[in-house]
Amino acid sequence: MALTRDVIDALRKILEPDALVTSPEGRMVYECDMHTLYKGAPDVVALPRTTEQVQAIVRVCREHRVPIVPRGSGTGLIGGAMAPRGGVMVGLNRMTAILDVDLPNRCATVQPGLINLWLTRAVAERGYFFAPDPSSQMVSSIGGNVSTNAGGPHCLKYGITTNHVLGLQMVTGAGDLVWLGGKTPERPGYDLTGAAVGSEGTFGLVTAVIVRLLHAPEAVKTVLAPFATIDDASETVSAIIAAGIIPAALEMLDQVMIQAIEDGVGAGYPREAAAVLLIELDGPRAEVEAQGERCAAIAREHRALDVRVARDEAERALLWKGRKEAAGAVGRIAPAYLLQDAVVPRSKLPEIMRRLQEIAARHRVVMANVFHAGDGNLHPLICYDDRDPDELRRATEANEELLSACIALGGSVTGEHGVGLDKAKKLTLQYADADLNFMYRLRRVFDPDHLMNPDKMLPSHPACGEGFRPARPVLPPGAWI
Amino acid sequence: MAVSTRPLAVALAEIAGADAVLDDPATLAAAAMDGVAPRWIVRPPSAERLAAVIALAADEHLAVVPRGSGSALELGRPPARVDLIVDTTGLDRILAYSPADQTIDVQAGVTLGALTAHVARHGQMLALDPAGGRGRTLGGLVAAAASGPLRARYGTLRDLVLGVRFVQADGVLTWGGARVVKSVTGYDVPKLMVGALGTLGLLVELTLRLHPVPAVEETRLAGFATAEAAGGFVAALLDTSVQCSRLELLSPAASTACGGAEAWSVAIAIGSVAEAVRAQMSVVDALVARGSGQTRPAPADVWSRYGAAMTAGDLGLRVGTLPSEVSRAAREAIATLGAAAAVGACATAGVLDVRASGVGVAEAEAAIRRLRASVAPTGGSVVIQAAPRALRERVDPWGPIEPGALALMTAVKRQFDPAGVLNPGRFVGGL
Repeated sequence: MALTRDVIDALRKILEPDALVTSPEGRMVYECDMHTLYKGAPDVVALPRTTEQVQAIVRVCREHRVPIVPRGSGTGLIGGAMAPRGGVMVGLNRMTAILDVDLPNRCATVQPGLINLWLTRAVAERGYFFAPDPSSQMVSSIGGNVSTNAGGPHCLKYGITTNHVLGLQMVTGAGDLVWLGGKTPERPGYDLTGAAVGSEGTFGLVTAVIVRLLHAPEAVKTVLAPFATIDDASETVSAIIAAGIIPAALEMLDQVMIQAIEDGVGAGYPREAAAVLLIELDGPRAEVEAQGERCAAIAREHRALDVRVARDEAERALLWKGRKEAAGAVGRIAPAYLLQDAVVPRSKLPEIMRRLQEIAARHRVVMANVFHAGDGNLHPLICYDDRDPDELRRATEANEELLSACIALGGSVTGEHGVGLDKAKKLTLQYADADLNFMYRLRRVFDPDHLMNPDKMLPSHPACGEGFRPARPVLPPGAWI
Repeated sequence: MAVSTRPLAVALAEIAGADAVLDDPATLAAAAMDGVAPRWIVRPPSAERLAAVIALAADEHLAVVPRGSGSALELGRPPARVDLIVDTTGLDRILAYSPADQTIDVQAGVTLGALTAHVARHGQMLALDPAGGRGRTLGGLVAAAASGPLRARYGTLRDLVLGVRFVQADGVLTWGGARVVKSVTGYDVPKLMVGALGTLGLLVELTLRLHPVPAVEETRLAGFATAEAAGGFVAALLDTSVQCSRLELLSPAASTACGGAEAWSVAIAIGSVAEAVRAQMSVVDALVARGSGQTRPAPADVWSRYGAAMTAGDLGLRVGTLPSEVSRAAREAIATLGAAAAVGACATAGVLDVRASGVGVAEAEAAIRRLRASVAPTGGSVVIQAAPRALRERVDPWGPIEPGALALMTAVKRQFDPAGVLNPGRFVGGL
C-alpha cells in the first residue's frame, strides 16, 4: 500500500528534515529485523526525538488509517520490527536519554532508544546494574527489550524484562499519551504495565520506561564444565535445579557451537567436548562458594571431563564473550539459520535434547545449540544454505517438529524472543480459541482501530474478523424458566 | 421467597450439584457482606461447573461475588448487590507438582497452608507470607495481590504467578500464561489477574513458581531511637550487597508485638547457607552500630508474631509509596492513627501494612485523607484492607487513580465484563 502525499506532508511538518526516510534505498534498510526471512519495507520511516513528535505521528496515522510499526535497534529475532503492510515505521533510536537515575529508590527513567548496556555502564560505578541481559545488549534498546519482554542468560535468577519494569509512558494506538505504573511499585488497579510489557508494539509506542536497578552481588563465580555427551550435560542441568540451586546463569553449548566459537572469537572452550556448561553463581560470597562446590560435585557425578573456575574477571569475560557472540559465529558453519526459542519444563531437558538430535539427523540438518539450559529455554540454530530451497524446507520442517515436541512436553512457544510475525500462527499450539479471543479483545482496548504493528503477535489480524469464538458452557435448557 | 427465586436455585443445583447450592435463610444471612445477604451461595466442585454457573449468572444478570476463605471480603467498596456468592473452596485439588521444575499447578481454592505442607517435604516453598495467609485460598491471595515480608527478596505475586485459568464474565473458561518458568507467548494475561479482585475473571487454577527453602534463616531485631534512624539504617543496608529475605521497619507497637524493644525497629531476616548468613549478619550488626541502634536476637516465632500484629484490630490499611519514603510514611501513620497502631514497612517494595483498632469512623476518615495527601506526591496510595462498611462508604477504599490509567482500566473492564457480572462496583473507580 502506498501512502498519499498528505501523510508525508503531515509528517514533514512534525519532524526535523533529516528525520523522515522516504527514498527506496533508505527504506530498504528497515525491511527486516534480525529474522531476515521476513521482509516488508515501510512506506516511510519516521525518527522522532520527542514524545510530542511520537504523539503527533500517531495522530496523523490515525487520521489516515495508516499502519504503525515501532522499531528500536532492529535486533529482534521474530520478524517484529518490519512492515508487512507498509505504513509508517517509527524508529525510536534517537530517543536515547537517561532521564533520571534514582538510586535511593533503585530505579531509572530512560527513553526507549537507550541501549541496554549503556544503562548498566551509567550506574556500575555506584554498584548497580540493570538485570535483563539479552545477548544483543550492546546494541539492543531498552524500548525493544520492553516490547519483546526480552530475557538473557541471567534471567534464570533475575527474571525477564517484565520483572524489572516499574512503569512506562506510552502513546496508545488510540492516540492517548498515558503513564502506566510508576516509581512506586505498589499500586491499586489493574496491572496495565504488566500487560503492556511484551505486547510487541501492538498496544502503542513506548516513549519512556522506569526500570529497576539492582545492587551488584558481593561475589561472582563462573564455572566451565565440559562433557563427553549432551546427555550428561543435560542431566547435570536438571540435577542442579533439582538440588534447589538457582544459579545466576546456566548455559549449554554443544560441539557444533563450540567449534564455531573457537574458530571465531576463541573463548577457550575445549573443542573435544560434546557439550559444555557455563555455570555462573552470584550473591553473598559464602553462598556462592558453597553452591559452586555443590555444582562442581554434581557435574563430576555426571561425568564432567573437567570443572574449571574462571580465575579472574578477564577469564570470566572471555568465557562469556564466546557465549554472547555465538549467533555471529554460526556464520562460519552455514550462510543462514532458523533460530528456535521454545521452552520445556527444565526436568525434561535430557528428553528434549535426545529428541532434538534425532530430529536433526532425520531431516539431515545441522543444529548448533547454545541455550539457557537452566530454565529449559532452547535455542538451536538450524543451519541451511539459503541458495538451496530443499535445505530451507528441511530446516523449516525440523524447526516445526521440534517446536511441537516442546509443546507436547508441556512447554511454551517462545521463552524470550517473542512472537512477532514468525510465531503468530503458532500460538494455537499453546492457546485455545477462548484464550486467543481474550488476547484479541485486550489488544482492542489499546488499539481500537487495528493500526499498531499489524500481523504480529496474534494468529490473524482482528480486522480480518475475530476468528476465535469460544464456546460458552451448555446450560440445562429452560430449567429455570 | 420470590416466585423467580426458586427456579433459579433449581437451575443452579442442576448445574453445580444439589449439595453445592446453599439457600437456607440462616446460611445466607450469615454470609452477608457489609450487611447485604446473597440470594444463593454456590460451591461448585469443578472449574467446568463453576463456568456453567457464571454463564447462568450472566444470562440472568446476577451480581456475582467470588469468595475464597472469606478473609478479605472487606477489601473494596461495599457491594450494592450480592445475588450469588461463588465459593471456590470446593476447588481444593493440587493438580500437578514437579519439584524438579520448581512449579506447581493448583486449583484456586487450595489454601496457602495446604500448598506449603505439600511442597515442604521437597525443601520448597511458595515465597509468599502475607499476615494470616495460611488459611487463605491462593485464588483469593492472587485476586487481592496479597504480600508479606518475603517480598523483600522474592517480589510479589506478580513475580510468582506463571499461569492462570479463569472463568470470564460470560462463563467461558480461559487460560493465560504458561506452565513453565519462562514464557513470553502472547500477552501476559496472568499479570492482569493479579490484584484485579476477580473483576475480569474468576480464578479457578494457578501455575505458581516455587523457590528452595534456604538452609538457614536467621532474624535480628534492631531498635532505634527514631523512625528516621531506623529508615537511615534500612537505606544504608539496601546500598550494600547483603541479601535480606525479609526486611521490615516496625513501629514501636509492632516491634513490641514481635518481641523487640518498645522503639522503632527493623526486623532483618537473612536466609542462605550458614556461613553466608553469619557473614552477612556481621555486616548488618556493623551498620546497626553505626546507626546507633541496639541489636537483639529475635524470638523464634518472630514472623508469626508479626503476622498476628498485622491482622489484629479492625482497621487495616496498605500504603504504597516510594521505597525511600517508607519511614516517613510510617511516622505519618503513627501521627495520624496513634502510637498503638502497628506498622510494618518494606523498603524494597515500598509497601506499608498498618493495623489499628478502636479508631472512630470520622477519625479514621481524617487519618486516611491525611495519609493520602502525604503520599500523593510520590504517586503513592492508601488502600483500606479491612474496615467496617460505614468507613468504606464515606471514603473510597482504593483512593484516586490517575485519570489516564483509570480510563484504560475502565475500558478493560467494559471489554471483558460489560454487563457487570463479576464483583460489580467493588473495584477501583467503582468498576
